[in-house]
Amino acid sequence: MDKEQFEIQAMEYLSGAMTDERKSDFETFIGKHPSFKIELQELQDTLEMIKAMDAPEPSAKMDTVFFSALSEELDRKKARRSDSGLLKYLWPVQKPQWVFGVIVLCLGLAIGYLLNNQNSAEPIEVVTQDDETESMRQKLVLTLLEQPSANQRLQGVSEANKIGQADEIVIRALLQTLNNDSNVNVRLAAIESLTNYVDRPEVRQGLVQSIPNQESPILQITLANLMVALQEKASVEPFKELLKEKKLDTMVKKKLQNSIESII
Amino acid sequence: MHDLTDKALMLKVKSGDLDKLGLLYERHKKRLFGFFYNLGNNPSISEDLVQNVFVRMMKYRSSYTGEGSFTAWMFRMARNINYDHHQKVAKFRINSGVTPEEVKMEVEGLSDRLDKEENTRILNKALAKLSHGEREVLVLSKYRELKFREIGEILGCSEGAAKVRVHRALKELKRTFLELEIV
Repeated sequence: MDKEQFEIQAMEYLSGAMTDERKSDFETFIGKHPSFKIELQELQDTLEMIKAMDAPEPSAKMDTVFFSALSEELDRKKARRSDSGLLKYLWPVQKPQWVFGVIVLCLGLAIGYLLNNQNSAEPIEVVTQDDETESMRQKLVLTLLEQPSANQRLQGVSEANKIGQADEIVIRALLQTLNNDSNVNVRLAAIESLTNYVDRPEVRQGLVQSIPNQESPILQITLANLMVALQEKASVEPFKELLKEKKLDTMVKKKLQNSIESII
Repeated sequence: MHDLTDKALMLKVKSGDLDKLGLLYERHKKRLFGFFYNLGNNPSISEDLVQNVFVRMMKYRSSYTGEGSFTAWMFRMARNINYDHHQKVAKFRINSGVTPEEVKMEVEGLSDRLDKEENTRILNKALAKLSHGEREVLVLSKYRELKFREIGEILGCSEGAAKVRVHRALKELKRTFLELEIV
């Protein structure tokens, strides 16, 4: 056996890829050549050392960054699809109307510019009533969350994020979205928005109660990550119930088992 | 969806079901993180590089054919990403931060801990002294589920050549390790 043949066969032997017959031939050869035997032993030791090489656990931040990037990509994909659909629908049919609309808009802008220059009025002081804006925003959130279009419902959730302190009605609407919305992205966004209020008991309870309602693996994993971060013991039972589901993905199953262990 | 293979999941991602990338991420994130970390990147950079692998998978999903092993395809991508990162670092002379040998590992038992820490320190030092190619082939050989055929696929060589490369890199590592141990 030449050097290269030995190199190849030694690796096959160490990785357990040899048939019984070749293995016994190789062992006989090794038995007759002590120098090769020593080299094989050294190789095995070094390989064991490499295999035992540690690496720390990646941080939870890596998961958060990945899943939010994925969710953004999903949103972008949806938005692109609906935009191109709308344009395709409007553009060929109503071309003259578009041109007319643009001309009227330009005219309006020109007139507005001229009028504005003529009476250079004193700047009007706008006093923002914070409370009023907040309550308007809450109404806007509730209206948007009821829209049939998923994009508008997503916009509703993002408006909810801008509210400093959401009232009970908004929280209830977000929880309802999390439980009943047909779109996974809207549900994901609702979880993200609700994490701003996890110090409120009704939000934590609502999140726990929503666990059995989720069928999408991403939502199940996101909720599991959140519950681990919150160390919410009440979530253990619903997760155990979810584990009994036959259709549950194996990765999700593992994730849930790990989460239950981390919470306990 | 139950028990879907990596290949089937990636084909679903290719057909537009991006949700499935989340499952592939959960399956492979630790292995990829270990790959980058053991190649000498610090934990924070290793995490960024893992993200880059999945961003690239998403970007080039249409080019995935489903031929060959998914793991080999993924590691080939990871290898290119690591290479690109180090090219960039070399170009801008960015300090890549702490090397694995400087990161303290938590190991139980005092004497065991000292022994293991010392061995790990020498092993990491020895690995750092090897050529990039030798180090890479050793880190890949660490994963039991990667067959030599797949390592060959990742490195762009034959199965036999992959075996020879692992063998020679192991010998070189042993030699360097002993040298450092004596010092």
